[in-house]
Amino acid sequence: MKKIEAIIKPFKLDDVKEALNELGIQGMTVSEVKGYGRQKGHKEIYRGAEYIVDFIPKIKIEVVVEDGMVEQTIDRICTAAKTGKLGDGKIFVVPIEQVIRVRTGERGKDAI
Amino acid sequence: MADEHPAILLKKKRKRLITEGLKTNCAELIRLLSDMLDAYFCEVYEKSIVGPTMRIERNPYAVLALGGYGRREECVQSDVDLLFLFDRKVPENGEALIREIIYPLWDIGVTVGHATRSIDESLELASTDLDTFTAMLDSRLICGMSPLFSTFMERFRREIILPNQDRWIETIIQSCRERRARFGDSAYLLEPNIKEGVGSLRDYHTIRWMAMILSEVRDIRDLEYYGYVSSREYGRLMDALSWLWVVRNHLHDIAGRKCDRLYFEYQPRVARRLGFIEGKNGQPVEQMLGKIHSAMEWLNQLVQIGIREIHANRAAARSSRSVTKSTSSDIYADRGTLHFSSSEAIVRHPVLLIRIFEESARQGLPLCIDARRLVQEFLYLANEAFLRMPGALKAFESILMASRTDVNVLEEMASSGMLERLIPEFASIRDRIQYDRYHLFSVDAHSLKTVQAIKSFGAEQTMEWCSLCAELYRDISPHRKWLLWAALLHDIGKGLQSDNHSIKGAEIARNILNRLGYRKRDIDTVAFLIEHHLLLIKTATRRDINDEEVAVTCARIVNNTERLKMLYLLTVADSMSTGPKAWNEWTAALLRDLFFKVLNIVERKELAGYQVVRDMARKKAQLFDAATERIERDELERIYGWMSPRYLLYADIPQILEHIDLYRSLASRPFIWRIQTDEDTSTRTVTICARDRPGLFSKIAGVLTLNGMNILNAQVFTWRNNTALDIFHVSPPVDAYFEEERWMRAERDLNAALQEQLDLPAAITEKMISYPSLPIPGDRRPPRVQVDNTESSFFTIIEVFSDDFPGLLFWVTDAIFRLRLDIWLAKISTKVDQILDVFYVRDFDGQKVDAPEQVEEIQKTILDTLDRIMKKGGKP
Repeated sequence: MKKIEAIIKPFKLDDVKEALNELGIQGMTVSEVKGYGRQKGHKEIYRGAEYIVDFIPKIKIEVVVEDGMVEQTIDRICTAAKTGKLGDGKIFVVPIEQVIRVRTGERGKDAI
Repeated sequence: MADEHPAILLKKKRKRLITEGLKTNCAELIRLLSDMLDAYFCEVYEKSIVGPTMRIERNPYAVLALGGYGRREECVQSDVDLLFLFDRKVPENGEALIREIIYPLWDIGVTVGHATRSIDESLELASTDLDTFTAMLDSRLICGMSPLFSTFMERFRREIILPNQDRWIETIIQSCRERRARFGDSAYLLEPNIKEGVGSLRDYHTIRWMAMILSEVRDIRDLEYYGYVSSREYGRLMDALSWLWVVRNHLHDIAGRKCDRLYFEYQPRVARRLGFIEGKNGQPVEQMLGKIHSAMEWLNQLVQIGIREIHANRAAARSSRSVTKSTSSDIYADRGTLHFSSSEAIVRHPVLLIRIFEESARQGLPLCIDARRLVQEFLYLANEAFLRMPGALKAFESILMASRTDVNVLEEMASSGMLERLIPEFASIRDRIQYDRYHLFSVDAHSLKTVQAIKSFGAEQTMEWCSLCAELYRDISPHRKWLLWAALLHDIGKGLQSDNHSIKGAEIARNILNRLGYRKRDIDTVAFLIEHHLLLIKTATRRDINDEEVAVTCARIVNNTERLKMLYLLTVADSMSTGPKAWNEWTAALLRDLFFKVLNIVERKELAGYQVVRDMARKKAQLFDAATERIERDELERIYGWMSPRYLLYADIPQILEHIDLYRSLASRPFIWRIQTDEDTSTRTVTICARDRPGLFSKIAGVLTLNGMNILNAQVFTWRNNTALDIFHVSPPVDAYFEEERWMRAERDLNAALQEQLDLPAAITEKMISYPSLPIPGDRRPPRVQVDNTESSFFTIIEVFSDDFPGLLFWVTDAIFRLRLDIWLAKISTKVDQILDVFYVRDFDGQKVDAPEQVEEIQKTILDTLDRIMKKGGKP
């Protein structure tokens, strides 16, 4: 099992969610995050006061999938999240040791 | 069966009662349940085996109902609280009595809480513990020795209550405050706690307890008798309570346990049982929550006013002198509240009904309870024409605009019904609930909160947490009134079923403001703000705000700096008042970013402004007209979608048509061009369509130079699908006879250059040797390079001023390419021998280059290049 963590542009959330739903992915965790990479922040000056956007608002999506699904999932996210411009985001793939569903105690892929 | 245990019988009867009661007479159910329990206790008391052995004549006892059961307000799953009260010490076989009477109840699933205490013990405990104290306040005799109960109550009043009235009142108010703080959390607005929340049954208990402490109140009816509520309020109180009891009983029944919080999972079932059906008032759950909200909000007001009033009276009674300040002959302030001098005054001058709220806003004092009641009694005087009475509208405006936020007068006006009399349209959004986790407040409450939020921008502290809002609020101060009107009415359209509450709301607001006699210009402003109150937040969260066109679209809708600032403030206030899901630092950052970008465009007036918007609309129509014969409308729409605002602004229609033609025949080639001889035959126009890539412009310029074509001016555009569209005006090659061959050679050169098979700098350097040298440097002005990052939020603009010489454009654009910058738009113009080149650039990642060291590097690189060439007389 792998966890796929994707940082995407906020306005792309619905597209990515839909793309993953089509793939049959049932659950995901979404957070509003801020950060920067090559797309750096900038500052605006209004009436002498500086308004600095150093961390840029992004959406982080986390899904856990079986190994066989990893490539497809990545593909779907890439296609849906892409604008071709800077700041489209990144995808991290992390191995998952174990998944446990709290309610039933099921483990492994049954618990995804 | 005659010998069935009373508890078994009770279980059966109770079940039947609940099933029937929930269907038919739900409001009465609490009393019937209490009576049924009473009957059970009386019966087992009579039949008790243990009881008689306690020698009642020596140590008599009584069974008391406490708490909710004491009030005869027993809900389906409520606890049953009992006190076995003994005259003296609790006898040793007291336990046996409990076993006999109470254990059977446990067996049938009734939760019983009980205590066995002597009178002395009970009084002792009540004097130190608030919960025991309030339970005793509500106590009621069920069976047993009634003189014992009378003695107990008499001593309770004399020894515990009366000597400490003030302390008890304070303790109850304090505990009420703590509870409301604990349960007042926004989460409880969506899943209200019927028993403990703000405006819950507990608030009613609070009022009742305070009344019991201060007067001989024994029953809910006594509240009216002793003047704690007016007769109108009593009716409303009973309605609100009955409704909450009904909801609570159903909730208990559905949950199957003592659950007082109306969780999401239970809401649909409760709503269905209560008979709500989907209709024009929204979803069943929304309707139910609306009604619950209305009842709880009313109770909330009641308890707040009650506490304030009792507080004020106690304080006044303690201090010998009370300050009376007269504000007018008909309204005066006394003991921290506002009063009418007489009710006749109101009849003579109905405008007093609003004047008292104006005073309240001005002085920060609430209305006293009697004044509130008078307002409600005389509401009928305030009809639609009321605001047109002299002074009335002005009074309302000063309430709306009052800067103090410590008293929320609009909320008082809303809860007293005054607001609805003045603006009847407000009734449609009262207690309207939107069933989701996003909207925490009913629409009316949210609207008033939004007004408060806007006022808060004027407060000193706002400078710290949102200095931008504070600045903007100051900027738009001449328009504050309209912003506040917009805030008050921005969701007024939600009262109607409609797809677009913003447009509907703008319409309704126009009617209201028209009726009030405002000027059209101001009405337009308010209607605009309402119609577009979601524009910024929707764009910020759902569109790519790093796309210039997105900002331009916003800018064109808003078109005006003041309106944009007001719209931003309204958006922030609206989001803040919606709930934590709608407003946080993350959303704030997106919104602010968009705001600055739009502001920039609106202020520059280049891409937005009434004139521009009109011109662009005309241009689009002309383009579509002109293109009808050449291209299908669908395809044209698609291509039109790629055209950036600047392209549409600066390219003229024949050029655009030319570009469309070229683009459609580009296919997979790297570029395609068309050369035309201009009218006066002395110049040529080269129109190029190519797949954009960094360095394209310098390569084209280089190839033209290499082939002896002097560039007079040029425009470079980029479509959004990454297609470069360039227009060059050049003087033709010197050798006119072989012009055609020249162009073909140039085309081959460009192909070669694009495939990196032609070293342009080397080729041009060689070519320049055959050119005459430039005049010596002393006669010329030094070149200048300006880098501007303020003009556009999306591009860095480089301006180059220089004396012209062959190849200049190539060397400048080549320098820009070497700086790893991409040219998105360029305007090259030559005046006699001076050139002015303007380049809109971004780095290869698509970002502006605004770090000071980068700006310096741009200037240095371009100037060095020009310097070097000029020093050598134009021969690099």
